[in-house]
Amino acid sequence: MNDQLELNDIQGIIIRGYSNLPAAHFLLLGMQDPAAVKQWLSLMAKDITPGDRDPGESAAHIAFTFDGLKALGLNADALESFSLEFEDGMTGKHKQFFLGDFAESAPERWTWGGPNTADIHILLMLYAKDADVLSRNKNTVLETISRYGLHEVQVLDTTVLYKQKEHFGFHDGISQPTIKGLKRADDKENIIEAGEFILGYKNEYGQYTPRPTVPAQADAANLLTPMPQGSAHDLGRNGTYLVFRQLAQDVPLFWKFMARTTENVNGNNDEKEMIKLASKIVGRWPNGAPLVLSPEDDGGKPESNENHFDYRQSDPEGLKCPFAAHIRRSNPKDSLDTDRATSIAIAKRHRLLRRGRSYGPPLTEKLNPLDCLKGEETNVERGLYFISINADIGRQFEFVQNGWINNPKFKGLYEERDPLVANHQNPQDSSHTGTFCIHHNGLRTRITGIPEFVKVKGGAYFFIPGLRALRYLANVTT
Amino acid sequence: MMQHGAYSMVLYISEGKQPELTNLLQQIVDNDVETNGIVPFKQIKSIHFARFIALGKSIDVHGQEVASRLVLTTNYDMPLENHIQEMVRVAGPGLWRIFSLCQNFSSGNYNADMLERFLLSQNIPSETFYVGVGYRSVQQIHNENLLRKAINEFADGQRALLQNEPAQAARQRIINFVRSRPDLKWADSPEPGPSRAFTISRYAKLIGIIALLIIFSPIILPFVIIWMLIMLVFEITELQAPNPVTKDQIRALVARETQLVQAQFSALGNIKPGSFRLITMKFLLQSTNFLAPYIFTKGKLSGIPTVHFARWLLVEEGRQMLFLSNYDGNSENYLRDFINIAAKQLTLLFCLAQGYPKTWLMVFGGAKDAENFMAWARYRQVITNVWYSANKEVSVMNIFQNSKIRCGLYGEMTETEAQKWISII
Repeated sequence: MNDQLELNDIQGIIIRGYSNLPAAHFLLLGMQDPAAVKQWLSLMAKDITPGDRDPGESAAHIAFTFDGLKALGLNADALESFSLEFEDGMTGKHKQFFLGDFAESAPERWTWGGPNTADIHILLMLYAKDADVLSRNKNTVLETISRYGLHEVQVLDTTVLYKQKEHFGFHDGISQPTIKGLKRADDKENIIEAGEFILGYKNEYGQYTPRPTVPAQADAANLLTPMPQGSAHDLGRNGTYLVFRQLAQDVPLFWKFMARTTENVNGNNDEKEMIKLASKIVGRWPNGAPLVLSPEDDGGKPESNENHFDYRQSDPEGLKCPFAAHIRRSNPKDSLDTDRATSIAIAKRHRLLRRGRSYGPPLTEKLNPLDCLKGEETNVERGLYFISINADIGRQFEFVQNGWINNPKFKGLYEERDPLVANHQNPQDSSHTGTFCIHHNGLRTRITGIPEFVKVKGGAYFFIPGLRALRYLANVTT
Repeated sequence: MMQHGAYSMVLYISEGKQPELTNLLQQIVDNDVETNGIVPFKQIKSIHFARFIALGKSIDVHGQEVASRLVLTTNYDMPLENHIQEMVRVAGPGLWRIFSLCQNFSSGNYNADMLERFLLSQNIPSETFYVGVGYRSVQQIHNENLLRKAINEFADGQRALLQNEPAQAARQRIINFVRSRPDLKWADSPEPGPSRAFTISRYAKLIGIIALLIIFSPIILPFVIIWMLIMLVFEITELQAPNPVTKDQIRALVARETQLVQAQFSALGNIKPGSFRLITMKFLLQSTNFLAPYIFTKGKLSGIPTVHFARWLLVEEGRQMLFLSNYDGNSENYLRDFINIAAKQLTLLFCLAQGYPKTWLMVFGGAKDAENFMAWARYRQVITNVWYSANKEVSVMNIFQNSKIRCGLYGEMTETEAQKWISII
């Protein structure tokens, strides 16, 4: 099979993050008239931005939930050929346990995507160079959809934060895998086989990740290419799965916790120690500099996008970047408990392409820690739309979430989950707060009583089809 | 120094009794596996891990039906007689009720002596028994975890002091604290290590085998080459049997993984037909069994750092194999570890099972074919109806680290050694 990326058939959001299109809306739609929706899909297909086109001033992307594909009337065999994780979604009893969505993060309390909220069938992602263009495009869509058997379940607005930071004030979006075949320069360790992110290409096992197909007779017009083996037609090719989670960030809680934990003996705030603790938790300084390379301070640069570092040689005992730190467990690189090459190979099989955007107003404009600490507390929700792209939800997103982020035994630890994003409310947990150890030569400093700074408010798994597959879906016959 | 055993029994379930048996086993789970009235596992102090499996009817490699069976296995602290007696003492009537639904078991009134004799007579030796947490009793693992917790709480309270004084002084302060705690009295002295005789005989056996291999290598080598060539012919000519695993099968399996730290895996496989392959299989498993204590030290099964215990059993006169393990994490991570860390070694031990991904010379290929391997493993995995773990909050790595912390309480240390020890608390 040809392993050259078919960029003209791959939706552009998989290929690029659209940093030049800072304005974005995510529209969650439900359908009531599938026949009309298919007409709309035919019209819409022309507006979906392919990966080979410079998007100019705006871009649009479309993805479907399993319920959405079912509602469209997709063939039962085709539905069955989608992955188990996609079919089951992220809210079942076992999934709640596996992903650690308890208490305030429980699916029952979600504002969308949960068992008590309206069905979601389609995700429409709109990107634009500015708010005006975005609002124009959104209004056009919203005016159109009601005529085509669709309704708006929710419109998710995004925010652009100061200098590519996230709400806690840390420079974000630094660690991204580079898709092999895009001819972008990067460390070999960070160039990942296309099949990890796009169906129909070889993955890090040298295999093709299982992908959905339709029986040949369900594609009489031959809109899809045939599978290399067997008679089925390839519905997955150039498509992939998209994980969407709305993660609320409690910024005052975050900085107040850091301040309280590090205040000096007189009860005064120690800004330097406060920022250092937050950085130990993240694994990078607010400016993005990794602790492994600059353990004592942030190096003084306004921002750093540094990814070129290792753990095994530079920090085998976690004295610079703790084992439990967020970045060290979400991408452990060469630090797993195997030989170096094996560790890197394993880490490459669990990478995520991140396409998240922030939402809600920033607590303070420039998001400096001290400002955030003093910032006025309101009831406004703010956070991150965590959006990640992976070809195998089970092996990538769910594995990282369960095996690394929420696993108290990661890397020989005892009770330390990810101090930044993990959930501590599993009913079996003896303590319902987190623990985090900062190691020194000699006795560690153990921090307990860590609350959840991040809570899940909604989410769903989507299939983001290739453009041929999208045209097939627009013409699917029931 | 404690040694571990693997008790296994397999009984045919009486005709039509499978639903009743499954129900009874489910009652154990529903009423808390630790304290239920049928088999209150927590009271059987010699058990590390235990499970019941109600295997439905299966089809062997010749297409013949194998009747439904009950499997009971435990990982226990030796000796076996004590373990069996304890099981009968604590859970005799419950076990009697369960076995009464099986063939070849007395249907009469409860009789403890008879039950004990029955259990002893039914034990099936493992072809391979892997121990990840070697030489520690259930109680020792439990105690050492309590010790670590107590030291940690103490250290949190005295942190400023302990961080600012020399490591040797800090260590002494911790030792004094442990000595002052009546509930940690057992930690005053180290766990007795292996006796000299044990160590000598352990290495003598290994050296003896290696010497024999060297002496007879002129005879063995050509024999092995011919053997491998025959195997290669088998490998080239045979087709891989399909593994039509369904989503519902996987859903039912993973839904039972509800523990925070550990999980279990049970699988029933068919051995490919013919005595040539059966002999090869037995040889490979038994060699591994012999070598495992020498090569898989430090709690790693071929580099996989999460397996507490694992066993390979041959049943039905070698037509079928049971593989049972207890490990940290979840089954998805566990199977991925097989592929990522130990593909060759584990391929050698599973390659003669029906449906295993195609191999070359029994180590190449196999688990490297990740998609096929996952499908095979899931297709052959069976539901474990009852599963019990005595020390459910510790990982293999925790158990090793806890022992290291305890060992640091004894003897002299230099300042550097003391600092290193304190840093692992």
